[in-house]
Amino acid sequence: MKKITLVLALFTLMTMAANAQVYYTKNGRVTFFSKTVLENIDAENNQVISVLNTETGALQFSLLNNAFHFPKAKMEDDFNEDCMESDKYPRSTFKGKIMNLNEVSFNKDGSYPVNVNGDLTIHGVTKNISTTGTITIKNGNVSATSSFKVLVRDYKIQIPSIVSNKIGESIEVKVACNYQKK
Amino acid sequence: MQRKTRRNIFLLFIAIIAIAFIIGYRVWNEPHKNIKNASGTKTTATALYSDLTKDSATMKSKWVNKIVIVSGEVKQVLKNQTGQQIILLKTNLEGGSVNCTMEENINNITPGNKIIIKGICSGYISGDPDLDLPGDVFLTRCYRSI
Repeated sequence: MKKITLVLALFTLMTMAANAQVYYTKNGRVTFFSKTVLENIDAENNQVISVLNTETGALQFSLLNNAFHFPKAKMEDDFNEDCMESDKYPRSTFKGKIMNLNEVSFNKDGSYPVNVNGDLTIHGVTKNISTTGTITIKNGNVSATSSFKVLVRDYKIQIPSIVSNKIGESIEVKVACNYQKK
Repeated sequence: MQRKTRRNIFLLFIAIIAIAFIIGYRVWNEPHKNIKNASGTKTTATALYSDLTKDSATMKSKWVNKIVIVSGEVKQVLKNQTGQQIILLKTNLEGGSVNCTMEENINNITPGNKIIIKGICSGYISGDPDLDLPGDVFLTRCYRSI
């Protein structure tokens, strides 16, 4: 009887390992916002690739800087040409891990606060960051949100003096992804 | 006479400031490029995907940030978080698509339909080779092209 239980337990473990769940989206959303005296600057990018491995907690995001859409064409040009130098550094990425993966039940509906740590690369500069987020499971669907601040000088982003009064030092970045199972 | 000259210089100065302000205001508020009526380079979803996955500088400068008119077969129709329609066009790689975010939704479009889409090409993002997840080529601000 003990043997059967052991075999069953092993089998369950193996099945769980084989079902290493990978979730992804290619149309995740990243927005950023900066409040300034003259005008608020906000931009959105709805073409973010994100991959979440629910077995290891590995989490990654990748986006093209030139896919950020601004309300004004001039803002978009300045962002790509002067700030991000999108020709030279086309992508921004994050590669990290959910640190409290054991507190998330991916097979149970709920909203789980997570701590995420990893490397954020913007404008060719990589910095290790820690932030918080929420993973939501609803009817088996996995989604994730996070919000954090980025200091432009940390990533050596030069803001031309003519628009410097239009862009704040600190940018609030919001991430929202609805995943599908691979 | 001297007072008149001084007044003229002052008026000229004011006029220059006003003109600079108007130009600045107009540049700052310039509208986005009208993609719907713009011309673009024609290609197919398969060719565009194959060109941009080569990671060649020539191909990037040929397509990235350019208006492209892409013909292909619809693989999937989705919606993003803002309710915009996403049309995935088939490529020669299973799992890899030309991912088009539509500015105007197209009604009655289903997988298998042949379609021509015009939009700005943002480029290619690789997926995760370790997890066997291919990347996509992205088009933004897309319209159906005839």
